[in-house]
Amino acid sequence: MSLGRRAFLGGALAAGAASVGHGCTDAPRWERSAVRQPSRSRVAILPASAYDSGLVEIVMRGLRLFELPLAGKRVVLKPNFVEHDPAGVVNTHPALVAAAIEAFRHAGARQVVVAEGPGHYRDTEHLLTATGLHAVLREHRTRYVDLNNDDVRALRVGSHYTGLGHFYLPQTLLDADLLVSMPKLKTHHWAGVTLSLKNMFGCIPGAIYGWPKNVLHWAGIHESIVDINSTLPVPRFSIVDGIVGMEGNGPIQGDARRCGALVFGDDPVAVDATAARLMTIDPRQIKYLAQTGRFLGNVAEERIDQAGEPIDRLRQDFRVLPMFDALKSFA
Amino acid sequence: MMRSGQARLVASQNPDGGWGAHEGRVSSTETTALASLALGRLDTPASRASAALGLRWLAARQHDDGGWPVSANVDHGSWATALAVLALDGLGAERVRAVRGARWLMRRTPRTLGVVVSLLHRFAPGTLAVRLNPDLKGWAWTADAASFVEPTCYALLALKRMRRRVSGAAVTERIDEAERMVYDRMCRGGGWNYGNSSVLEAELWPYADVTALALLALADHREREANQRSLRALRGMLHDVDSGLSVAWATLCFAAYGEDLTPWRPRLVERYRRTAFLGDMKAVALALLALSGGAEVFQA
Repeated sequence: MSLGRRAFLGGALAAGAASVGHGCTDAPRWERSAVRQPSRSRVAILPASAYDSGLVEIVMRGLRLFELPLAGKRVVLKPNFVEHDPAGVVNTHPALVAAAIEAFRHAGARQVVVAEGPGHYRDTEHLLTATGLHAVLREHRTRYVDLNNDDVRALRVGSHYTGLGHFYLPQTLLDADLLVSMPKLKTHHWAGVTLSLKNMFGCIPGAIYGWPKNVLHWAGIHESIVDINSTLPVPRFSIVDGIVGMEGNGPIQGDARRCGALVFGDDPVAVDATAARLMTIDPRQIKYLAQTGRFLGNVAEERIDQAGEPIDRLRQDFRVLPMFDALKSFA
Repeated sequence: MMRSGQARLVASQNPDGGWGAHEGRVSSTETTALASLALGRLDTPASRASAALGLRWLAARQHDDGGWPVSANVDHGSWATALAVLALDGLGAERVRAVRGARWLMRRTPRTLGVVVSLLHRFAPGTLAVRLNPDLKGWAWTADAASFVEPTCYALLALKRMRRRVSGAAVTERIDEAERMVYDRMCRGGGWNYGNSSVLEAELWPYADVTALALLALADHREREANQRSLRALRGMLHDVDSGLSVAWATLCFAAYGEDLTPWRPRLVERYRRTAFLGDMKAVALALLALSGGAEVFQA
């Protein structure tokens, strides 16, 4: 039995779920108030060759390109910390989190908080200390909020792909002036890719939804990504860690793949579409990007103004599992 | 750590009598249950008074159907019911409520993966992306979700303690099936993670805290090879894992298995001195339990 044949059952059993019940169909399924798609979007790809030098300047340059009004603002950085794998490249690199803390402070942010709700793992102390994030937080005197156990408020969903009526969302995020998604550039064995939008799974509190957040798998991974992102009422920014990404059997057991880039943008859909293209993956073939591209942001290349390096200069041919071969069809 | 941990827990109690996962957070059933258990076993007036307030918080939050929500601002019954049952029963308080909680657990069934997956598991297991027996039911974290290891282990710990008071063959059958589910989810080299041992032919690794919890829930089968293999795996994991949560669960587990605790208690104390477990109140409570011989509250 090939891995390709397993795709159907893979999705069905990711964590005990069948994900096509509500489907992503053509009829609009979003509230008018959830529409955030701009006429044009801007994304910047900045080269970054290593984690140990010059990152603060690169992140500051990325922020300047977007002229974000940061003075006096409360910023929440949401990296992707899944679980600790000493040999792997599972998580957003702590050095990039450190650089972002410095850069946002330098740009005038009143408060910078780091927040995450790991999807599998309850031992936050181990995750933070073993990955080195705790040392970064201590050095930069930065507060960490465990989104799995934060206070919550129920919000009606902004779109209706999952059939879930509301999400309990962490108060720390709802109080933020800017939520910065900081994913790792990775392929994903159920969703195809995991980037800024998928990273928002970590905003769903495990204390209510469990570890893993199995309700979301039953409701459909793609569908949940759309509904979570349409519900979060906070202005967004994205910084994708593509210095070293992950290809193959991501998000945990794939292989390291150097790409040497950071991707910035204030439209997370456009950022993810661009990051997918950096991996030589067709974003239009990713179900959740196809849907969010209808009302949350832009997927079409002709509607994205590209700043920094041209994609072709840094593009890498990320390997995908055979069941995702179709994602490479445009290459 | 006994004195400072106890003082920290007492000082971080919310005005409503419960504890949040971290200081200043809304009171949660899980943390309140564990903190009440830890403080209620200590012989100081302050700790006992604090535990009594915690138990009162728990009693006031039980739903009419017997379940407990995760926290005060969530309205549906949850996996944390098992911990509330353990706290009430472990401290000999509100026994009627504990029984009602246990009955709620008995009524709670996880979502199943359906007939097709069940048939494929029997006749073409190679087609399944995840290596597990979909027919075995434990407990889910929440309604409309599948069985996972941790909620199943919490429910096992509670129901094993309550077995005599929630009589009937159904309890024994449910415990038996849930135990088989937990063994089925064991990682190849022993130990457990959240509940998948293999995905897309890749072996997944176990977590120390979940392994210790699962071993505690299966402690009445300590002689089994799977338990012994997982004990060895846990000891191996603890070479690299030093967090309060994991070492506290591990110490409770080793105590239940009659192992020498000499290496573990000082390690907990030292870790608390260095990190204060990063403010994780359930870890502080579990550590106090581990340091005060509290494994018995998790045993039938």
